[in-house]
Amino acid sequence: MLYHAVLGGLVYGLYFTLVGLGLNLMFGVMRIVNLAHGDVIMLGAYAAWALFTAWAVHPLLAALAILLAFTAIGIPVYYLIVPRLLRARDAEMLSLILFFGLQQIIEAAATIAFGTTERSIPGRVLGHHPVRILGQVLPAAWVWAGAVSAVCVAALYLYLYHSPPGMLTRAVMSNREEAKASGIDVDRVCSLAFGIALALAGIAGVFAPFMLGSVTPAIGPDLNIAAFAVIVIGTLGNPIGTVLGGIIYGVSLMLMQTFLSAWANLLPNLLLIAVLLVRPSGLLGRRVRRA
Amino acid sequence: MGRGWRELCLIVLPTVAIAAWAPNLYGNVLLLFNFVLYITLAQGMNAIYGFTGYLPFGYVGFFGAGAYGFAIAAMAGVHPAAALAVAGGAGIALGLILTPLLRLSGAYFAIANLAAAQAVYQVVANPALAPITKGPYGVSLSAVFAPRASYLVAVALMGATMAAIVWLRNGRFGLALMALRDDPVSAASAGVNIVRARTIAWLLSALVASLAGGAFAWQISVFYPETAFDMSISIFAIVFTLFGGAGTLLGPLIGVLLLYGVYNWIGIAVPQYFQLIYGALIVVLVLFLPNGLVSLLTQRGIRVP
Amino acid sequence: MSPEPPPLLEVRDLVKRFGGFRALDGLSLDLRAGEVLGLVGPNGSGKTTCINTIGGLQRPDGGVVTYDGRRIPGLRPHRLSRLGINRTYQSPRPFASLTVRENVLVAATEGCGSTPPDLDTLLASLGLAGQAARPAGELNSAEQKTLDLARALATAPRLLLVDELAAGLNPTELLRMAERLRALADRGMAILVVEHLMGFIERVTDRVIVMNAGRAIFGGRLAEAVRDGDVKRVFLGGAHGG
Repeated sequence: MLYHAVLGGLVYGLYFTLVGLGLNLMFGVMRIVNLAHGDVIMLGAYAAWALFTAWAVHPLLAALAILLAFTAIGIPVYYLIVPRLLRARDAEMLSLILFFGLQQIIEAAATIAFGTTERSIPGRVLGHHPVRILGQVLPAAWVWAGAVSAVCVAALYLYLYHSPPGMLTRAVMSNREEAKASGIDVDRVCSLAFGIALALAGIAGVFAPFMLGSVTPAIGPDLNIAAFAVIVIGTLGNPIGTVLGGIIYGVSLMLMQTFLSAWANLLPNLLLIAVLLVRPSGLLGRRVRRA
Repeated sequence: MGRGWRELCLIVLPTVAIAAWAPNLYGNVLLLFNFVLYITLAQGMNAIYGFTGYLPFGYVGFFGAGAYGFAIAAMAGVHPAAALAVAGGAGIALGLILTPLLRLSGAYFAIANLAAAQAVYQVVANPALAPITKGPYGVSLSAVFAPRASYLVAVALMGATMAAIVWLRNGRFGLALMALRDDPVSAASAGVNIVRARTIAWLLSALVASLAGGAFAWQISVFYPETAFDMSISIFAIVFTLFGGAGTLLGPLIGVLLLYGVYNWIGIAVPQYFQLIYGALIVVLVLFLPNGLVSLLTQRGIRVP
Repeated sequence: MSPEPPPLLEVRDLVKRFGGFRALDGLSLDLRAGEVLGLVGPNGSGKTTCINTIGGLQRPDGGVVTYDGRRIPGLRPHRLSRLGINRTYQSPRPFASLTVRENVLVAATEGCGSTPPDLDTLLASLGLAGQAARPAGELNSAEQKTLDLARALATAPRLLLVDELAAGLNPTELLRMAERLRALADRGMAILVVEHLMGFIERVTDRVIVMNAGRAIFGGRLAEAVRDGDVKRVFLGGAHGG
């Protein structure tokens, strides 16, 4: 049982890495907090659900379509709001409020469009039989979600560390002003990162109906808390650190559900607070507050 | 401190008088109560966000703690006045527990505070604690139900909170807080004990929210954990404050009167459409008027109380 | 030698580490009331760390700081302020949303352990009287630097730590600033000046300490320092420390 919980937690945690990945990329590059992140995930879930219900599109194909569509939508959205936001005196704080407004818009629009009925995609679409891994049986959808997350993390790593636009992105992450001064088109770099962040959230959404059982337009805020817990544990602003956060989150959640299920829902919040208090900079962080 | 007395007489006292008299003119006391409640919460938010820059996304945690502090005491047969004291005590206690969060800055603090409020909610709503909190099944305080008295208590609390904002706006302590909001490092050089100052502001705003929660519990007398810990309470308090202008006395007041007025005008019938408009309003506000309505005047060098 | 009063500030073997890096590696210095001491050295030699450590922003990892006959290890800046130690910052840190007058008012009410100076006179003496009602965030950077100084002076300090106040000032402002610091010292204030501009150091200081790699390699008059072999090596060779 312990072993099963740990292994299941690893796969589950890999999925929650993907849930937090886009949020962390956005914070790392732009120092803004996307409170609508969970709702973008929700939109991804509904996109996958709609594609499946209307034309029986396979979720993996839907993920690909969402990757392109969300990136393409994200770039103009970036230009519409972020440059203006970043000119404000306290942009980090205001971003919380602004994206809360967006969150309200998305949730309301989704409620109007889709109603409040719970929607799901049948699990058999991603494989009829559970998968045996290292002697344990896991649902096929979990394994797919974990695998796609791993691919996304690897792709983001390659982008950031081995591609020219990724290098520029890291330059902006380490110091926006200096990057601007050295002639980098910061807005172009950021708009792409913004689009990618939304796309990552959208892809996480494709698997939400499987991982959560079903989705409604109201799942955004809860997903957001989970995403926050993951990225705070894994170091805010360090996208690759999200993996560590996701896995710690997944494993501890599975252990809690197995052994102390009544209090399992407290875990993300308590983990988040504990990590922030003990190591405000995250487990991999080195940012120190001076006053 | 002549300016402070003037603001007290010209703004705080009339507001309190109008609010206290209003039930004689308008029958929907619950709606009036909600206005009074949100003015109080917005000013309590103002004390911490407007004067120190900490944005407590989980402000509702104090409100809920106060509501449940009142409810648990009232269910145990305590007199409502004493139960209100318990509510305030619950808020102060939670505030003290969360004081270490003040070490965090910016988004870190906001997120941690949000998580803390959620955690308190999850503890209160947990079926395992049903013998004490009634868990997810909600509480009923019909034994102490007193809409008129609880309304007047809320009005008094609103007056006291506004008076506290006047004190912060015009007094030495508020100035020190604003210095620390602008730059904690040089505020320390200028002699401000930053840890003590922000802890006091934090506990003050926690006390306000928890007493408001206590008054709320008394007023509506039947409620569930979701009601007392509703995230939109935090959000409303933030948005009202921001819309009017944080760090001023009038800003949050105007914010509540305008926005909560609009909310009640169009909001109740079709909540989704209201949510849509509300969201759009917030976005536009942050992008085009980040310092609130009063900044239209302050930018022109006019001092707004 | 005439019998001199004991130094107001005595620093002995001060050590400050950042990870494995020793930003201060056994620094010692004395500063008397009415004296201006310059701290010079290449970038990274520990000058600002020295001010931050004496000023309470960073805790020393070793050594002793004695002020007015009393040890002040690790006291927070607001306590030091009330004891009469204050400072300016390398890049000015005004309270941007408060007016210029409120900026100095905070310091006078919160940070002054004795009798604060008259604020209007103070602002006038620093050429800020015309700006008193403006938000500090609207000042230009030279004015903000002057405001930093005004705020420090509002606490009536006996020891003033000045971190690169001259950088960014034009020659006229520079001259005026030098005269101000001299005048303060003549009235009995002890001043520690970190600065790159040698002309300014020359004009203001009685004495300099040349630092390299967290240590003092020379102490004495600036004119003697430029003839010193070690000092030449550090400034011209640039091979060590840096």
